[in-house]
Amino acid sequence: MNMMQGATLLKYKNYRYLKATSLLMLLAITAYALIRPAGGESYGGTWLGYLLGIISTLIMFFLMWYGITKRRITGSPERRKLRTRVARSTEMADQARLERRKTRKKTRVLSGAMLQEWLSAHVYLGASLIVLVSLHTGFHFGLNVHTLAYVLMLLVISSGFYGLNVYLNYPRLITLNMTEDTLDNLLLKIAELDELAGTRALGLPDEVNTLIMKARRETRIGGTLFQQLSGDQKDCPTRIAVQQMLHLGAKYNQDDQPKIMRDLYSALLRKEKLVLRARTEIMLKARLECWLYLHAPLGIALLAALAAHIVSIFFYW
Amino acid sequence: MISCLLIHVTRNPQGLPVCKNSVITGSTIQIGRGAACKVHLLDHRVSLLHASVRRSEDGALYIDGERNATLKINGFIAQSAPLLPGMHVEIGPYALVVEPAASGHDLILSVELIHPLNDHDAGIACQTAPVTLAALGLSKRKLGFSLAACILFLYLLLPMLPSASVAFDKWQAGMPVTLNGSWSPGPLAGGHALFGAKCSTCHQRSFQAVSDEVCTGCHKQTGKHLAKEELQEKTFKATRCTECHIDHKGSERLVLHDSSTCISCHGEIRRKVAGSELANVNDFATGHPPFHITLRNDKELIRVRQDDKDKLIEKSGLKYSHQVHLAKGGVSSPQGDTVMRCQDCHKLEESGLHFAPMTMKKTCQQSDCHALDLTEPAEGLAPHGSELAVMNHLRVFYSKWLNDSPENRAACDPDVQGITACADDLARKNAATTLFRKNKECGECHEIGPAADNDVPWKIAPVRINRDWQPDAAFAHAKHEAMSCTDCHDKMNSRTSADISMPTIAKCRECHAGNHPAKGKIASGCDSCHRFHQGVK
Repeated sequence: MNMMQGATLLKYKNYRYLKATSLLMLLAITAYALIRPAGGESYGGTWLGYLLGIISTLIMFFLMWYGITKRRITGSPERRKLRTRVARSTEMADQARLERRKTRKKTRVLSGAMLQEWLSAHVYLGASLIVLVSLHTGFHFGLNVHTLAYVLMLLVISSGFYGLNVYLNYPRLITLNMTEDTLDNLLLKIAELDELAGTRALGLPDEVNTLIMKARRETRIGGTLFQQLSGDQKDCPTRIAVQQMLHLGAKYNQDDQPKIMRDLYSALLRKEKLVLRARTEIMLKARLECWLYLHAPLGIALLAALAAHIVSIFFYW
Repeated sequence: MISCLLIHVTRNPQGLPVCKNSVITGSTIQIGRGAACKVHLLDHRVSLLHASVRRSEDGALYIDGERNATLKINGFIAQSAPLLPGMHVEIGPYALVVEPAASGHDLILSVELIHPLNDHDAGIACQTAPVTLAALGLSKRKLGFSLAACILFLYLLLPMLPSASVAFDKWQAGMPVTLNGSWSPGPLAGGHALFGAKCSTCHQRSFQAVSDEVCTGCHKQTGKHLAKEELQEKTFKATRCTECHIDHKGSERLVLHDSSTCISCHGEIRRKVAGSELANVNDFATGHPPFHITLRNDKELIRVRQDDKDKLIEKSGLKYSHQVHLAKGGVSSPQGDTVMRCQDCHKLEESGLHFAPMTMKKTCQQSDCHALDLTEPAEGLAPHGSELAVMNHLRVFYSKWLNDSPENRAACDPDVQGITACADDLARKNAATTLFRKNKECGECHEIGPAADNDVPWKIAPVRINRDWQPDAAFAHAKHEAMSCTDCHDKMNSRTSADISMPTIAKCRECHAGNHPAKGKIASGCDSCHRFHQGVK
């Protein structure tokens, strides 16, 4: 999704869902302000509280249904990869392939449009839950399953807001960072530079050779969750090697070594830039995807907490 | 000069050796990674200059390892050794084998890379590290379902368990962390806190609302709203206790202080209850009728609207002037002029709602006031009581006085014979002249009339001081102690006990607003004064 698609998502059909959810929130706030429940204190057990709770629950089911629909239309990432692999390896008749492509494209366009509408509704309705559910609670909170469901809902919505933000901004940053390259390309180039630097360094003193080997062995691109998200490596050996090479260049300035040192330094500099780009790519993509690892599981957890909340209310009515 | 045939051995894909020969010569043959070395071993595990092959003084060839460089000769670490055919020398990942001598060469060495670098050793770590979150093996489904399972177990299954067994419920209720505590939406009110986590005390049946029987099981004394059974049943049959008494809202909130429920009926009470004499009430400030004052009318209690001035007369049977007693200059007393305050006579009870009943002894005779003096023929005090009791006291008093001294008997009428008869005679005379006089002594406060009884020929009008002017309402005097009594009760100029100085609703409205807060006023709902469970007739 690029910036334009993001904008379309929010402005879908002239802000249809923004208007609808704004109206819903306005009605809820007005009702909350005007309708004075028995006892003068609003909470989930008044008729307005029940109504807001029912509406919010239905909205939550709708929002979760979006996730199911999305998976049904686009499939899970694993399935997508599998499909691509199968398609590549299978020799299909050109005509049949063309026909299939046409059909798939048509379905994808339809599904894409439908998904975009769903997503637009998903974003605005999800945001409206903050207001609706807060009014449902009557702003009574405690250490109980009811507040747990509320907090989980806020976490799901917060992660959704983060996701919306990254989907609106990160695709552009990824394009700017990678230009025409791919991550595989960058890794290959880095490997080539490592090979080149390693070969060059073999003829140089151990100090230089060790530095280059360390930069080759210990420079890490990607890695654990936090390493991917940070897009950096503490005390990056390549960065240190570049700095050290400046000093070592002066130290081993003899025979034909200055040229080799220069080449080595140049290779390391190029590698450092490539490593930075590769890490940035991994970081941006990790940040682009990481929120879903909270949004979806917390959504499922919210469903469980919601079930416990509703059952508890009627179990001890 | 050393002439050396160097055989470079590599392996083809089938693992068979492929040899490539080269001849090197020199006085010393250096072996190492460095470009200057004649045996050039391209691997970082080999030192720049690792070892040298030299000729000794006796002409034999030997290999000499450089400082800090390790040689492994025939499996043993060594620094230097003579080169003999068949000798196996390991330098870093390379194996050098001394081949049997052949013509034309002093030394034949075969060199083979026996420990090539694998990908990891080559430092291609960056390519093997996960570069996507998916590659980390994280699963949204697994995480989500695990969380959901934990939540369902902790917050759905466990809280249900206590309802399965009473004994188990009792046991878990005593634990520091209870199984069903997470279901409680808030702290219990007041005395209900005693139940703690034993939810089944009130929630006796799953998926069924708390019944009224549960409440009335403990609150047996709680009255109904309407005294008429039929009307009560008809009006409140479908109303549950918990509709008004909502628990789990903290210690303060169990009683409904909101007036909207009351108004839902009393706002149109005349329409809703045919034949009702009650006025419609919507709000204390704007839609409340004038107060009713409850008075005793001879035999029964009557309720008189406060604006019905003609009927608003108290018939207490007493003659009393608040004006005299509350005079700024004081009221005459045995201690001289004494300035009295309302509280001198009206003592607030501990409940803070009502005043203690006034008595002659504690109220009227405080500071020696209103003493019932006897002066003739002997000085003494008469008691405060019924007419008969006073007369009997006088008879006993004079009888005793006549017996005290024969001289006292001179006061007897010559026509009256005997001490008893004389005492009775003196009692009658003095009662008539000192006590039962109009506007004096007894007559100062009581209405006295004649009686047919020969023994007690006077009749005191019965005293009925009204103690509760508005029995259907609760007024907390204690909460109004910051005010002066006369701010509400206009008694400073009241000359007669017939005056009723109960404040009107207008007076209350000076400080009290209705259901909704108003600037500078106190919001006052129905339950500020009325009690729902009082059983209105």
